[in-house]
Amino acid sequence: MTATDQSPHTTGSVPAPPGDGYESEDELAGWVPPRQPIRLLAPLLGLLIVSVVWETYVRITGVSPLVLPAPSRIVRHIASDPGFYLSHGWVTLWEAMAGLVLALVLALAVATVMAHSRFAERATMPVIVLIQSTPVAVLAPVFLLWFGFSPWPRILVAMLFTFVPLVSNALTGLRSVDHDTLEVLRSVDASKREIFWHLRLPNALPALFAVGRIAMSLALVGAVIGEMYGGSDSGLGRKALQAISRNLVDQLWGSVLALALMGVVLTLGVMALEQRVLRWHSSQSHLD
Amino acid sequence: MHATLESPVVVAEKVGVSFRDRSHSIRALANIDLTINAGELVSVIGPSGCGKSTLLRVLGGLLPPTQGTLRVWGDAPEKGREAKRFGLVPQTPALLPWRTVRENLTLLPRLNRGAGRGPVGDEEIDRLIGAVGLAPFADTLPGKLSGGMQQRVSLARAFALEPPVLLMDEPFAALDEITRSEMRFLLLKLWRETSATVVFVTHSIEEAVLLSDRVIVMTSSPGRVACEIAVDLARPRQQGLEDGDAFHHHTVELRHALQRSTTAFSGMDPSP
Repeated sequence: MTATDQSPHTTGSVPAPPGDGYESEDELAGWVPPRQPIRLLAPLLGLLIVSVVWETYVRITGVSPLVLPAPSRIVRHIASDPGFYLSHGWVTLWEAMAGLVLALVLALAVATVMAHSRFAERATMPVIVLIQSTPVAVLAPVFLLWFGFSPWPRILVAMLFTFVPLVSNALTGLRSVDHDTLEVLRSVDASKREIFWHLRLPNALPALFAVGRIAMSLALVGAVIGEMYGGSDSGLGRKALQAISRNLVDQLWGSVLALALMGVVLTLGVMALEQRVLRWHSSQSHLD
Repeated sequence: MHATLESPVVVAEKVGVSFRDRSHSIRALANIDLTINAGELVSVIGPSGCGKSTLLRVLGGLLPPTQGTLRVWGDAPEKGREAKRFGLVPQTPALLPWRTVRENLTLLPRLNRGAGRGPVGDEEIDRLIGAVGLAPFADTLPGKLSGGMQQRVSLARAFALEPPVLLMDEPFAALDEITRSEMRFLLLKLWRETSATVVFVTHSIEEAVLLSDRVIVMTSSPGRVACEIAVDLARPRQQGLEDGDAFHHHTVELRHALQRSTTAFSGMDPSP
């Protein structure tokens, strides 16, 4: 956390304080390559390489599009009917985000109670382990039975997919506060609420963002699984399943690619938010 | 907030602390008799594990004593804590890494409003940041500062509360020798401008002599007061004091007192 823990090229940006015997390490840092363009380029390059290899493989082997269509073919297909993918993608996105937000709110509430009471923690733990061990995908038809033709079965599956990782990380973050800092706040008789808002919650943010990136794609997977059990005729998961039964190869791969791209964009969104919010945290120091 | 001289702020009588550890209880402190007067700077020195930090936490109302009576301004220490009369400086800087230097200083005055000690003005905060030499870094996050600079923020934060009692738990122990020396004089400078009573826990003989009006020597298992030594060096104390004979005389006296107390109480005779 201190400046001295950081790698040499980050300490170079620390201005030298007056009379502290603390020297700027600019000379030691040497030449630092411009990182801004590379940061954007590297992930694109990775995707490009995968696409090129895939495309080349399909063209060389002449494999049937029924088995594996070329990426160019999938992209062309999506471009031929963008409205279809946008509208069904929107449905899936909405279900996934509703599930994720509900899971986050519930996880924070449960973790807060658990962080303040060992008894509550012991009482809640078995329930959480139970949720974790339950094959939620198998429960989806039950939710359909309960909630019928509404978005709730899908939202619920997305929520249960993300709840356990969120709650366990939230609990760790809320609990693992610095002992001395806690004592300083207690020394002025700060209330539990003040300690929660000023110390515990910000302290939990790094752990929450770390799991948030994973939870984003988990929520999408949850929504898609929920859609597969029916109850509605929309959503990319539903459309992918229909494509399988009707032998619509392009629609199947189009739905899969659209879901994957959605996951990538959402994860990048979380990371961008993390970068802004966690400016203070050491996990972000390499970006300065 | 000026208390009359020689009026006791802290009065401890036969104070003891025992921790329960399943079947048996462990005595951390026993029979502590202590009087600390208003405006005094008192150091508590002793070997590691002698209960110095425990004593500090008891004085600050963070840990209730299990035996004896303890009064801080005539009240139980918890009352003092509720009234925000304590400024705590722990061994680590204990800053909130997501708040800038200035935001760290303004936080504590804003907490526990019920104590009736309202927020500190911006000018006072700026003055304190300047006094600890961090004016250019007022809007910097703590993670960008060196360990010594972070500890200066921690010191300024405690003074920002304008507390009548400052409780310091080896705040300079983790710093390098040069920074530590600077910090001691910085503390004396800040303290001179207040009328605060300071209880300063340390394991450094030089630090205790340099800072204190009085040094309380503790001994371990359970922690007890072995003796008290008055340090009558003139104030204000300036850099270079450490070189003088009077300073040297006091460090020797304190070192002997520490040696006497550890051998006398542990039952170990260093000479065969």
